[in-house]
Amino acid sequence: MQYFGSVLTLAGINMIMVIGLAVLVGYTGLFSMGHAGFMMIGAYTAVIFYKYLGVPFAVCILLSGVFSVIIGLVIGYPTMRSRLTGDQFAIAMMGFGEAIRMIVSNTEPVFNGALGISGFPKLTSLWVVTLLVALGLILMFNFIKSAYGKNCIAVREQEIAAEIMGVDIVKTKVIALAVSAFYVGVGGALFAFYMTFISPAMIAASKSSDLLAGVVFGGMGSISGPAIAGGALAILPEILRAFSTWRLVIYGVLFVVVMLFKPEGLLGYREISFKPVIRFFGRLFGKKTAAESVKTDNRNGGDADE
Amino acid sequence: MSDFLLETKNLTVRFGGLTAVEGLDFQVKKGQIVGLIGPNGAGKTTVFNMITGVIPPTEGEIFFKGSGIVGVRPDRIARRGLSRTFQNIRLFEKISALENIVITLQREPGYSLVEAFLRTKKVREIDTEIQKRAYDYLELVGLREYADSVAGSLPYGLQRRLEIARALATEPELLLLDEPAAGMNNEECDSLIDLIRNIHEKKGITIVLIEHHTDVVVNLSDEIYVLNLGKLLAHGDPHAVQTNEDVIRAYLGQGRKNK
Ligand SMILES: Nc1ncnc2c1ncn2[C@@H]1O[C@H](COP(=O)(O)OP(=O)(O)OP(=O)(O)O)[C@@H](O)[C@H]1O
Ligand SMILES: [Mg+2]
Repeated sequence: MQYFGSVLTLAGINMIMVIGLAVLVGYTGLFSMGHAGFMMIGAYTAVIFYKYLGVPFAVCILLSGVFSVIIGLVIGYPTMRSRLTGDQFAIAMMGFGEAIRMIVSNTEPVFNGALGISGFPKLTSLWVVTLLVALGLILMFNFIKSAYGKNCIAVREQEIAAEIMGVDIVKTKVIALAVSAFYVGVGGALFAFYMTFISPAMIAASKSSDLLAGVVFGGMGSISGPAIAGGALAILPEILRAFSTWRLVIYGVLFVVVMLFKPEGLLGYREISFKPVIRFFGRLFGKKTAAESVKTDNRNGGDADE
Repeated sequence: MSDFLLETKNLTVRFGGLTAVEGLDFQVKKGQIVGLIGPNGAGKTTVFNMITGVIPPTEGEIFFKGSGIVGVRPDRIARRGLSRTFQNIRLFEKISALENIVITLQREPGYSLVEAFLRTKKVREIDTEIQKRAYDYLELVGLREYADSVAGSLPYGLQRRLEIARALATEPELLLLDEPAAGMNNEECDSLIDLIRNIHEKKGITIVLIEHHTDVVVNLSDEIYVLNLGKLLAHGDPHAVQTNEDVIRAYLGQGRKNK
C-alpha cells in the first residue's frame, strides 16, 4: 500500500510539471529540452529556504515557483527578443538545463556541490500532491481559456499572422515560458521534499526528455492529455524495469517521428471530455445536434473544393 | 502635415541583387479604395510586407496617420489601425472560424495574468461579450453558420472571407487586401465586390486592394497604381490606367495572366 502511495505521489509531481510544459510546447509550439533546469532551481530554492532560513514548507513551494519564473524571465526575454527559431530555442534551453546543473554541481557553499543537500524532513505527502495537481489543473484550464492562452495558440498556429493581427509575440512567448517554469519549479520543490535529499545527479538531463515525452504523448493542444501521460510515464518505469532502461531510446525515436510526421503529438489536439459520451447517448436516441450537421455539411464542401 | 492616411516616399527594397521595389511614392487618402496592380513579381505583396512591418525597407519612408512607421514592430503597427489579409492564406488553421476571430479580438487581454488564472467574473463577462462580437464579424462576411468549422477545412473562398473578417476584427482604419478574389469564379467575385463595398461604406474603412481580376479592381477603385518590375508604371483613375499604353504593353508582355 505504501509502495502504491509513493508511486502515485511521484506520478502527481510529474503531472504538475508536464502540464506546465504543455503550455510552452503544446500551446505555444516551442520545444524545450532543458526544463530539468527549472526543476533543479525549484528543488534547491525550496530546500535552501527551508533548511537554512526556516521558511515554512508551503511558502518554500511558492518561492520555488517564483524563483523559476525569475530565472525564466532572465533567459527568456533575450532569447525571445532575438527571435530564435524553434530548433534554436530548443537547443538554447538544453544549454540552459546543462548550465544550471553545472553551476549547482560546482558550487560548494550552500549547494554542497555534487554531494547535494540532505537533512530535511519528508513533507511532500500524497495529499499535498493531489491537492496541488487539482489546483494546478484548474488554474491551467483557466489560463488556456483566457486571452493569454489564446495568444499562445495564435503564435503556435501562425506566428506571422498573429503578429500582424496585433499579438505581442515576444510577450506571449515569455509568458508561456514563465508559466511552464513556475509549474516545473513547484514540481522540483515537491520532488526534493519527497526524496528528503537532493543532488544534481537526481535531476539528470534526461529528466527534460521525460517531461517533454509527457507533452508529446499526451497531445500538443491539450492539458488533460499531458496530465494523464505525465502520470502514466512516471508510473511505467516503476512497473516495467525494462521501460526504465529503454525509455530514452523510445523517446528519442518518438520525438523525431512526431516532429516529422505528426506535429500535433500522438493524441492530437484533444481535451478529455464527456462530449463523445453525450453524443453517443444522443445518437442512441436518434438525435443529431444542429452544430453537428453544419460540421458534416461543410466538411463535404471542403473536400469538393480541394 | 500631409493629408494622406498612408504615404510612402521613395520606398525601396533590395533582396541581394534583386530590387523588388524601387523608389515608390504611394499615397492613399482617407476614405478611398485604391487598387494596386501589376504583373506577377511586380512587387505588390512586398509593398504590403513593408507597410505592415514584416520586411524592413532598404530605403525610403512610410507614414501612417502622419507618423513614420519604418522600424515599428508589426504588432504595434497593427494596433495603430492597420490590418491586412494574405495572398497565401494565413489563418489559424487548426481551430474554429469563431476562435480565429476571438483570438484577434483578444490580442490585448483586458485583464491581468492573475485574473486570467483565477478566471474572475470580469474575465467571464469579457469572454461572453467577445463571443458575441466574434459572431457579428462572421455574420458580416456571411460565415456565421461556419462558426464551429475548423478554419483550415473551409473551402478557399470562405477562408479568404474569414481572413477579411479577422482583419476587420482588429478594427482597422486602413485595410490591405492581397488578392482577395484569387481562385474565385465570376459569381463569387461579384459577391466579394459587394462585401468589400459594404465594408468600405458601412465601416468607413479605407482600402488598398491588390487584385489580378480586372473587374474587381476597376469596379471598386477610386484610383489605381500600376507596378511593373518594382517601379511605378502608371497611376490614375481606372479609366486612364486601363487605356494607358505602357500598362497594356506590360500586361501583354506577361501574356495577361489571370491567376
Ligand atoms: N523575402 C524575400 N526574399 C527574397 N526575394 C523576395 C522576397 N519577397 C519577395 N521577393 C521577390 O521580390 C519580387 C516581388 O515579389 P512580390 O511577391 O512582391 O510580387 P507580387 O507583385 O506580389 O507578385 P504576385 O502577383 O505573383 O503575387 C519577386 O521576384 C520575389 O521573388
Ligand atoms: Mg503578391
